Amino acid sequence: MAEEGSALMSILNQEEGGFGERIDWALFIAVALLAVIGVVNLYSATSVYTLSRADMYVSQVYFLAAGTALAILVTVIDYRHFERIAYPLYVAGLMTLVLVLALGKGIRGSSRWINLGGFGFQPSEFTKIWLILALAKYFHNSPRSEGPKLLRELTVPALLTAIPCFLVLKQPDLGTALIHGLIFLAIASLQRIKLSSLFLLGAFTVMSLPLFWLYGMKDYQKERITSFLSPENDITGAGYHAYHARIAIGNGGFLGQGFAKGSQNQYYFLPDQYSDFPFSVLAEDWGFVGSLVLLSLYAFLVLWALRIASQAKDRFGAVVAVGVGALLFWHSVFNIGMVSGLLPVVGVTLPLLSYGGSSLLTIMLGLGLLMNVSIRRPHLAQLYSRRLVFVR
Amino acid sequence: MTYLGQRSDTAEFRRRFRWPALFVVLVFCILIGRMFQLQVIQGADYQEAARENIIRRVTLATTRGIVRDSQGRVLASSRPSYNVYLVPLVRVERKYRCLVETESWAKLIDYMHLTAEERQRLEKKIHEMCGELFQKFEEQKKERNKKPVHVPQVLVREDVSRDIVATLETHESELRGVEVVSVPVRYYPYGDLSAHMLGYMAEIDRDMLSRLRSFGYIEGDRIGAAGVERGWESYLRGIRGWEKVIVDARNNRHAGPEAERLLDEPRRLDPVPGRDLRLTVDIELVEAIDKAMRGQIAGSAVVVDVRTGRILALYSKPSFDPNVLSGGMGKQAIRDAFRRLYADPLLPTLDKTMSGSYPPGSTFKPFSALAGLKARDDQGRKLLDPMRTIQCRGFITYGKRMFRCTHVHGPMNLRDAITESCNVYFYQLGDMVGLDALAKVALDYGFGAKTGLGVNPESHGRIPTMQWYATHFKGQFRGGFTLNAAIGQGATTVSVLQLALSYAALANGGTLYQPQLVRAIETSDGAVVQDFPPRLKRRIEIDPEHHRLILSGLYGVVNDERGTAYRERIPGVDVAGKTGTAQTSHRGVHGEDQSKIWYFNRDHAWFAGFSPFHSPEIAFAVLIEHGGVGGKAAAPVAFAAAKEYQRLVASRMVPKSPQGKPAVPWRKKGAP
Repeated sequence: MAEEGSALMSILNQEEGGFGERIDWALFIAVALLAVIGVVNLYSATSVYTLSRADMYVSQVYFLAAGTALAILVTVIDYRHFERIAYPLYVAGLMTLVLVLALGKGIRGSSRWINLGGFGFQPSEFTKIWLILALAKYFHNSPRSEGPKLLRELTVPALLTAIPCFLVLKQPDLGTALIHGLIFLAIASLQRIKLSSLFLLGAFTVMSLPLFWLYGMKDYQKERITSFLSPENDITGAGYHAYHARIAIGNGGFLGQGFAKGSQNQYYFLPDQYSDFPFSVLAEDWGFVGSLVLLSLYAFLVLWALRIASQAKDRFGAVVAVGVGALLFWHSVFNIGMVSGLLPVVGVTLPLLSYGGSSLLTIMLGLGLLMNVSIRRPHLAQLYSRRLVFVR
Repeated sequence: MTYLGQRSDTAEFRRRFRWPALFVVLVFCILIGRMFQLQVIQGADYQEAARENIIRRVTLATTRGIVRDSQGRVLASSRPSYNVYLVPLVRVERKYRCLVETESWAKLIDYMHLTAEERQRLEKKIHEMCGELFQKFEEQKKERNKKPVHVPQVLVREDVSRDIVATLETHESELRGVEVVSVPVRYYPYGDLSAHMLGYMAEIDRDMLSRLRSFGYIEGDRIGAAGVERGWESYLRGIRGWEKVIVDARNNRHAGPEAERLLDEPRRLDPVPGRDLRLTVDIELVEAIDKAMRGQIAGSAVVVDVRTGRILALYSKPSFDPNVLSGGMGKQAIRDAFRRLYADPLLPTLDKTMSGSYPPGSTFKPFSALAGLKARDDQGRKLLDPMRTIQCRGFITYGKRMFRCTHVHGPMNLRDAITESCNVYFYQLGDMVGLDALAKVALDYGFGAKTGLGVNPESHGRIPTMQWYATHFKGQFRGGFTLNAAIGQGATTVSVLQLALSYAALANGGTLYQPQLVRAIETSDGAVVQDFPPRLKRRIEIDPEHHRLILSGLYGVVNDERGTAYRERIPGVDVAGKTGTAQTSHRGVHGEDQSKIWYFNRDHAWFAGFSPFHSPEIAFAVLIEHGGVGGKAAAPVAFAAAKEYQRLVASRMVPKSPQGKPAVPWRKKGAP
């Protein structure tokens, strides 16, 4: 790390002003804490298994190391370079999605994976980052207009989002498609839009929902939603996971059952506890105190991303920071909302806690970009001075 | 980097972060609130639910009580039966495959010596089962249902020998998916000997279960189906216990301190073993009767203790093997056995000692004689002088009918009429005293009513009275019916048990006992919980003179040269009794095998009596169904039983108690 650090310093030195205080330590510490919690929790989640699954947490450490390296690399390169290659990256991402549909391997009725020499690679995870970059580039270059925008001015970014959404839905992966859409909404909310246009959009959404229900969704997806709406009807079927995940959370109580002692987890009542339900494991082991700490960390990360965005040097940086913030926000909120029974079961990973290389690398990539933007915001003094100038 | 200067201004965005930030804070507050609700407010409920998920109560089996005979020999106990099961390994691959690993299958065939037929049957069964399983898998795949598919086990063979169990256990590692399960099965060491008395065990059926569920019975339980097993079920059965165990979502059990930490108190309720029963029966005596009955096809015998009314032997032939009916050889064997038993015209499932009733024939004559001796005319004078002789010419005519005797006996007094079994004497006696006087004595001696042994369903038997004819055959009564009743024919029927008990009452001078089969209830370690003293049913008034007269008649049957059982007597065995040859009316069934009808038209052979003549100890009744003449067929069995009893008493060298009475043959070890 020392060598890397010095290399980093030398690069940063070429940028404006002193860098040491420019590294966003708050962001770094929050992420490091989450990563440690993630590995420890994964150990608890897989402690019941023997053989291959038992050392998942070791693989997770490897993925984390790789992710950290990737994040450092991304941090070091000025994000303006990413702006230049945003569209090519986006197109490449789309092509991987098409590839998945062409030769993907089925896991539980949907194909999301490409096999890369032993590693399963899930392109739809990375597409979120490519989408953020593409949208950032679009909004960066879009002409500044006075007053609220009309809806049709959002056509191009909406299309940019719709294409990967459609491809991901085709897999089918409702959760990831949803995250794509919600990232777009978060970014679009930065724009001022005419009130009438918003109403129009709302009306359209409401009207298209039944059509989507009838034609756009697979049976199992519908079943998940119906079982969410009436969970007591079906405890053994589709509602099984949600039900036992909720029991696990409640079983944690205030202080928790203790590390790797949660009975719901230890006795196999939480299927996929390492990928979709790590939060129930944590909540059962550490109780309300543990969930509070974790939720606070996520909340802090998201708010911090917004803060970085608000101080970003340019629009591209701001949109990237908001996009990454939205990525973290929607992932954590959907996952925790799902396991606590507030939202229907959609397979969305919990950032830094869920097991999985693609997911982890994506998050680290996003966090690298966030750090990049954070490091390159104008110095506070500079910021204020500029504002002073502006006011004057 | 020229374009760096043209970067768009972020000022437009900057003002718009407040609302998203507020939204984020709000959402996280909702999530934290939800956690507070789930973990703190409802925490206890969910902890309860989590505990319910993993804690399962498993029932702890209890052991059924052991039944012993009066000498402590085990008549019914439980033994483990080892059943071998096979769980096929199911592989879900691109195409489903379901197989027993060929290697283990081959080894299993080898170790268990499976026949080719068994192999084919099992392979077919596994194949069918796999087909069903795959259908389930397919359905699951469609429904995206994550419930685990239960792979059922296939029964390879029930009740395998210990050798095979040992072999299978030795080679356990090679036999994947093979399981040996031990289940308790009732074991009757004496097989079909007194099977009717002991009964057997049967799986509880749905009707019974719905009635008995509140008593703790569950599906698959075995319940006593006949005999002592049924009558004393509530004592023998014991009470199940339970234990809490940790079971995970895959139905695996977990033990160890980590798992036990999760168990709440109380964790266990110990099962209570069933009570043991000590019967009054001496199985050696039953064996002797069985031996003596070897030449006979069907019949029954009862031996009771004259002084207590305790049953010393109950024997019914043909019998069945309760081991098979109780499931010791598998379910198929049970079905086969029942099919065979119910098809048998000799009715092997019927307990012929008490569930069937038969015309008693001449064994009824002592009671008719008592009725005659008691009879008084309107002025209170005796109707019958026992010493006055009646001329027997081999028949009498009554109305337009002729009533036959066995021989031409010549002049007969009462004593001779009993000894030589003269029908003519009793026809006239019956005509003299009337039907109701005959019935009164018979009812006194316990005929016509259940004895209340409480083991198997009992037959009342029938003692006809005028009232009975009036209700059942209104206006059809003829005086000849009384004549038949006097010699134990016609409508009169008795059960063998009733007859034995009535002879016991004759022997002891008029004390009718409540019969007893269970001597004591004991705990599994031998302590007596409850001891049953003899119970008196009633004392019958009997003139000692009459009594002496009847007994001397009975003595003559065996010991007088003209007695009907004289030729079969065994020297040294002191017996008195009465033979009987009861005519039967066989009601043919359509389509019956004509070649066998002759058998069912033969007379029933009886012998009822007591031994020894002076100070009697046992009374007995023997019935040989369609055995022909009572003296020839039934008497030898009774004599053999009496002889065996003598031998047993002598061999056990029971010391005389200070009162000079012989003590009860059965005596507990160490008891004073």
